[in-house]
This record gives sequence, structure tokens and C-alpha cells, in this order.
Amino acid sequence: MSGRRTRGWAFACLAGAALGVSLVVLIILIAITALQAGPITSMRAVAGAGISLSLRSMDVPGTRDAVAFVTVAQVEAGSPAAGLGMSRGDALLTVGDTPVNRPSQAWDAVGAAPGGREVTLPVVWMPRPEITLGTLRAASVEGAPRVVLSAPSESAQAGGLRAGDVLLTAGGIPIAGTRQAWEALVVAARTQGTPIELALEREGEPVLVRWDPTARAELPFVRDPLRAWWTFLTTLNEPRYPERAGLLPAFVGSVYVVLVMAAVAFPLGVAGAVYLEEYAPSNFLTRTIEILVANLAGTPSAVVGIIGLEVFARALGAGRSILAGGLTLSVLILPMMIVATREALRAVPRTLREAALAVGATRWETVRHHVLPYALPGILTGTILSFSRALGEAAPLLLLGAFLFVTYVPQGLGDSFTVVPLQIFEWATRPQDGFATVAAAAIVILVALLLLLNAVAIVLRTRFQRRWSG
Amino acid sequence: MSDPGAPPILSTRAFSLWYGSHQALFQVTLDIAARQVTAIIGPSGCGKSTLIRAFNRLNDLIPGVRTSGEVLFRGEEIYGRGVDPVDVRRHIGMVFQKPNPFPKSVFENVAFGLRINGFRGNLAERVERALQQAALWDEVKDDLHRKTGYDLSGGQQQRLCIARALAVAPEVLLMDEPCSALDPIASAKIEDLIRELARSVTVVIVTHNMQQAARVSNWTAFMLLGELVEFGPTREVFTRPTDGRTEAYITGRFG
Repeated sequence: MSGRRTRGWAFACLAGAALGVSLVVLIILIAITALQAGPITSMRAVAGAGISLSLRSMDVPGTRDAVAFVTVAQVEAGSPAAGLGMSRGDALLTVGDTPVNRPSQAWDAVGAAPGGREVTLPVVWMPRPEITLGTLRAASVEGAPRVVLSAPSESAQAGGLRAGDVLLTAGGIPIAGTRQAWEALVVAARTQGTPIELALEREGEPVLVRWDPTARAELPFVRDPLRAWWTFLTTLNEPRYPERAGLLPAFVGSVYVVLVMAAVAFPLGVAGAVYLEEYAPSNFLTRTIEILVANLAGTPSAVVGIIGLEVFARALGAGRSILAGGLTLSVLILPMMIVATREALRAVPRTLREAALAVGATRWETVRHHVLPYALPGILTGTILSFSRALGEAAPLLLLGAFLFVTYVPQGLGDSFTVVPLQIFEWATRPQDGFATVAAAAIVILVALLLLLNAVAIVLRTRFQRRWSG
Repeated sequence: MSDPGAPPILSTRAFSLWYGSHQALFQVTLDIAARQVTAIIGPSGCGKSTLIRAFNRLNDLIPGVRTSGEVLFRGEEIYGRGVDPVDVRRHIGMVFQKPNPFPKSVFENVAFGLRINGFRGNLAERVERALQQAALWDEVKDDLHRKTGYDLSGGQQQRLCIARALAVAPEVLLMDEPCSALDPIASAKIEDLIRELARSVTVVIVTHNMQQAARVSNWTAFMLLGELVEFGPTREVFTRPTDGRTEAYITGRFG
């Protein structure tokens, strides 16, 4: 009875320690999530309003300066933005009261705006060139290049422009070509505000026009952290716009790879450990294998990746598939699994084996009915810890040739894939605004996944232990 | 020295055993009479546990064990070629020093041996009979499936282990210091049980408690440093030992 009580205490302490550690990790995780919740939520809110942003820059003629501005790269059909008449190629000038020079300023403006879940902000933009200005024609006047407004748009006409006007400067910025004309307007609006002073030549006479070419409207944004995270996790990846980045392909890739790995490594690892621990004769060969297995557990994962590339991808012809990835990771964790399982088997009291053998059980019956069930909590803990390690591995799969970026969900074992750590690596190395935030969000999800796995390990442990002791 | 008419059920012939380079048993020769209680006594490390574990080949589990000589069960050499130790253990049961029930229900503890031996019949009835033989039935009959082996007291656990061994109807029951982890009352119950069991089963018991050997056994073997020093009817060994070392031990001059 006292033995049982001691064991109970040991379990209670162990479970308590595990729960304590988990709790600390959970608190850290919540803190990180809170830090990331703002950016990812406002990015998703911008995407939800129907627009994706990209950064453009314009060289100012006659200077070495370049001015950056934000354009609307995508407008979703049927979205609020589309309803307001925004379209692809428009320059976004302000969101709320904030001038927008980089996409992150737009996201931040949405995030920082006072109000609740739904917030409607005034947005100022300059529609794309053909709507703002109309048709332009390049001309040459006395050898100098000139830009002629051949068919002014409605907005230009309302601003006082006529067909045949030669455009000279916008807010003092020279208009050097038909393609740059609109950019000059954007930069002028950006730097000096509206209306813009536009210098023209009309029928040989210089004319100064003050014109406001921008459009204004109220755009509704929905800031919903839960939905933002959920959408991030469940949408396909969009390679160019961080507000539409999705983790689904990498997440599914990770799940598939880990499933393949589990299907291979768990039975092999447990069987190998049972053989070494319960059956193998104690001779030179066994000892050699034991040393090799122990050493293999410390092999750098990149080396395992090369094995995977040569053996599974090339020699066995599995290519850069999920199958090859799962097999490579199983090579990585197999020695860890064997070592952990052997430890668990060694912890089974000898008296238990003797009890079974003494009633005439064979070695297999003893292992099957008594040793394995008794060692199961330890085996499961080792297994799940190995799995968590494999889930976070990027190096071996990188060497195997797994893709960094996949925009579709893999359908079967033969499909090419990426995994969450590789996707994080890919996002983190992008220079563009916003991908660092997306990478951080993916890291939060990966850590949450690992925490979940470890929680499952603890639950399984305590469940089995309760069965034994009670 | 056993009953002249009845052949011994278990006997050793010049049996020696080594753990690696260490020799633990030296040329042990003895006959164990059927349906009697034979006690093996001697100081710690004298090889009595090694000897009893040789009877069901449990030493095989220890790496580096070698044997010479013979152990005969019903005239058959159990260390012979082609003899499966599993078969030997199905006929020669064992109870250990420390109670070692399985971490399963009381019922499953007893039923395990029957299940793996392919018993087809009324499992519940056999389990009940084994528990009754072990004088445990009345104490556990109400929660056969609810309580695990670990929920019982030390003495009950040991009787559960006896029931587990008896369930497969062995011809010999080996007991390796079965009372050393128990209090006097629990020990007394086990001793009563041993005398009861000897009517149907051959019992070989290792003990370092000489009073116990004197109380329960018909035959006593005294071992010292791996040698069988003296073997005879218990009464004679305790009252008129032929060897000076036996006398020194039983009178408490060493041990």
C-alpha cells in the first residue's frame, strides 16, 4: 500500500511539474499571441475590406530621389472596396487620418483606429491613370518630350483640363512621360496635399490649374482576431500579399509528413527497442548496434536530410514527395524513439516479467500482455517528444528538396509539399513589409501545435497511469 | 531418503551453475518427494534462491548463466536439448519473495495463466477454485474485477500470487522466501496454506527463517556457499544434524 502511495505522489509531482511548465509556456504563448493578434488582425481586416496593397516607388525626374507610395494590387469582386469604385492600380493615399507610404501604415491605421470589432474609416485614393487623367499621348515640341492629354477623363474635365493640354509639372514635379504622369500626380498629392497645382501649356499659353484628382469614401473594416487567425490557418497561400498569406498548405503538409513518419517510425522504433531489450542475445553484434543507434540519435539533422535525398528521393524514386519527407523524418527520430522506448522497457520491474514467465507465458506473451502495457506511458512520452522535434525540423526537408512555398494543398503521398517550419523560413527571409508579421503568426501556430502535442502526451500518461494505479 | 516406493518428482544430479565466471552452485544432488514440503535453508548468498530458480529455468533470463549436471522433472532432463523452458514453467509454478501481482484486476491476475495456456472451459470457475485454494476467495469475491492486485494488502497480494500460480494446476510449486515481506499474521496464514497445499502439490520453499522451515516442511536441505551440506527429514536435520556446519547454523552460531 505504501509503495502505491509513493508512486501516487511521484505521479502527482510529475504531473504537477508538467502542468506547471505547460502553464508557463501557455502564458508566454498568450503574450506572444496578444502581440501578434493586432498586426495579423488588422492585416486580415484590410484584406477583408477587399484590398491588397503593394509598395511602389517613383524616381523623381531631375533628382536622385525616389518616392515610395502604396498601390492597390488587388480588389476582391463584390467587396466593399469594389463597391466604392476602387480598382487595381489605384494609389492609396490615406487611411483614417494617416498618410500611407508603406502597406504597414495602412494596416497599423486600421489596427489603431478607435472603436470595436467593426470600424469604418475615411479612405483617400487616386484612381488609376486612365480614370484620373484619361488618354495621354507623347509628343515632341521643338525636340523636347512633352505629354499631351488627348482625351481627358470626366474627372480631369471637371478639374478644368481640356483635350490637347500639354502637361508640364504637377506640384513642381516635372512630368517626363506618359507613364510617369500619374505617378507625378500621386507624389505631388502625397508631398503637398490636394488640390494639386498643375502647370499646363494650352494653345501655346501657360496655364495653372488647381485640381483635386483624388477619390474619398468611407471603407468598413472588420477587426476580428479569432476569425483572422482562423482564416490565416485555413486559407491557401497567396505569394505576393502578406494580408492574404495562408498557412493551410504548409499545415496540411506538416500533418501528412508527420503521419507518414508516425506510421513508419512508431512500429519500427518500438519493435526495434523490444528486440534489443527483450530478445537480442548479448553479443558483439548487439552491442555494436546499440552503440550505433545511440550515436545515430545525435546525428545532425542536415546529415539525415542528405540520406533522405540520396536514398528516398533519388535511389527509391520517391522524389520530393510527402512520402520521402515522412521517411526522412522517420530516419531522424527512429534512434530517439528506440532509445526512449528502451528506457521505458528497462524501467519495467524484473519481478513483473518473472511473474508472467513463471505461469508459463512465452517471452512474447510476457512482452505483449505485461511489459508493453506497463512501459506504454514512457513509450508514448518518448514518442510524442520525438514527434514534436520532427514537427519543428526544417533542415532535413530543405536538403531533401521540399518546396519553400506551395500554394495548393497536397492531396496524396506523392505530392510535393512544404511544412510549417520551411514556410516560416521562407516568410522570414522576405524583405517586403508584412511577411515578418506573417512569419511570427506562423511561429505562434507552430508553438501552439507543439504545446498541444505535449498536452496530449501528458493526458495519455495520466490516463494510463490512472488505469494502472487504480 | 524419500519414500522408498515413490520416485522423486524433481531431482538434481551433480548440478552446478555459474553466473559468468562466478560459480554459485557446486555439484548439488538431491531428490524432492512428490506432495511433500521441502524446505531449503541457509545463510544469505548460499545459493538457495539460485537452486530453486534452476528448477523452473528462471535463471535463463540472466545473461551469462551456465549450468552443468542435470535437473530431472519426472525423470526428464529439463535442461536437455529441445526442452522449452515455457513448458517447464507450465508444470512448475513459482511464488516470489516480494508479492508481484500484475497491475490488473484480481480476476485477470488469476486468469492470465489460464488464458495464455489456451484454457477452454469455465474460466470463472477455475479462477474461483484457485482463489479458494489460496484462501483468498472470501476476501476478494465481491470485487474481483473492480480491485487491482495493487489494491490488496501485502499478505493478500502474496496469496493472490499463490492463486495465480495454482490456477494452471502445476505439479510443483516453488516458493522463494514467500513470507519475508510479510508480517507474522500474514506469514502464519501462508504457512497454513502451504501445509494445506502439500496434499495436492509438491512444495519447495526457500526460507531463511528456520522456525518456519521446521513448522511447514517434511524435508529440509541445508546449503552453504553453493554446496548442499545436508538433506534429510526435517525432524532429523533439526534434532540430529550429521554435519557440524548444519548444527552451527541451526543453533544460531552463524547466519
